[in-house]
Amino acid sequence: MSRKYRQWVKEYQDQAWTVARYILKDAQEAEDATQEAFVKLWQNQDKIDPNKVKPWLMKVTRNGCLDRLRRRRDNVEFDESYMAGEVSGPMQGAATSETAVWLKRAIAGLKEPYRSLVVLRDVNQHSYEEVAGMLELNLAQVKTYLHRARKQLREQLAGVRP
Amino acid sequence: MNEYDEKWEEQINALLDGDLSARDAELLKTEATDDRELARAIVEAYQLQQAMDQVHVERAPRSLTKRLNAIPREHRKRPSFSLLQPRWAMALAAVPLVVIAVSLMRPDTPSASEIAQARQELAIAFAYLDKAAVITGREIESTVGNTMANAVTGSVNKVIQSPNLTSKEKEA
Repeated sequence: MSRKYRQWVKEYQDQAWTVARYILKDAQEAEDATQEAFVKLWQNQDKIDPNKVKPWLMKVTRNGCLDRLRRRRDNVEFDESYMAGEVSGPMQGAATSETAVWLKRAIAGLKEPYRSLVVLRDVNQHSYEEVAGMLELNLAQVKTYLHRARKQLREQLAGVRP
Repeated sequence: MNEYDEKWEEQINALLDGDLSARDAELLKTEATDDRELARAIVEAYQLQQAMDQVHVERAPRSLTKRLNAIPREHRKRPSFSLLQPRWAMALAAVPLVVIAVSLMRPDTPSASEIAQARQELAIAFAYLDKAAVITGREIESTVGNTMANAVTGSVNKVIQSPNLTSKEKEA
């Protein structure tokens, strides 16, 4: 069972981390939230359909992050180092181009559920069906919300482009 | 773009997702030639998609990987059956106590087999005594005469016939 769990860590840790990072905008808190989600995965592994581990984990990660956001009394300052695109170490390999840096900032600035939709669908590349399951929305809602989210990003992008 | 916004948004997204049929794609293209706003929306959507291609899944930091790999060790599940569980340890410890208690409560009455064995051993002992009395009688007879011998063997035989009676009981 432990071997299976390690395989899940290997396969899904980056995606769960990405979701947490975009929603929380704080590296330490994102680590804590991702760890909490994996603890729940470990404790409930016998109850989860093996074919649905990824959507289950993303949903739990997102919900955990949203709970953390709700608990925050004050708005945490935007983590500029994350969006600056000059981070080394663990963040190495992240997008470095100006547009990508700008886009990451714009995605992180979207409201829920738009932000999660864009991260899960456009960044993590989950299918529409998976995203619907993760966010407990129907397919039509996912598409409509995603259109709106993309439209917002598109308009912002057009505003900064020469 | 006007009141048809949602419809066109849907079409544009389907186009970018590769889900738009060739017929609908052609329709959208035709429409865009007459609608500058729609045309611009399509161009911007492509630009967004290109930008999005540069945004990748983040690599989890090593510190997080360590924390995740430590979870099975730190959150061990309690086995459903184990001799080390308190209830089982208590049950095992109780077994010798029960054995001792039962043996202490056991009555003193011997069992039927024990009685039978005792009787057998007693019969053998009396047979030896009987033999010994006869031999003793002969020896006495040869030494002191018949009268004396009868007196001795007679008293021995009395003991053999009623071994469990005390002298007081005999008197009674």
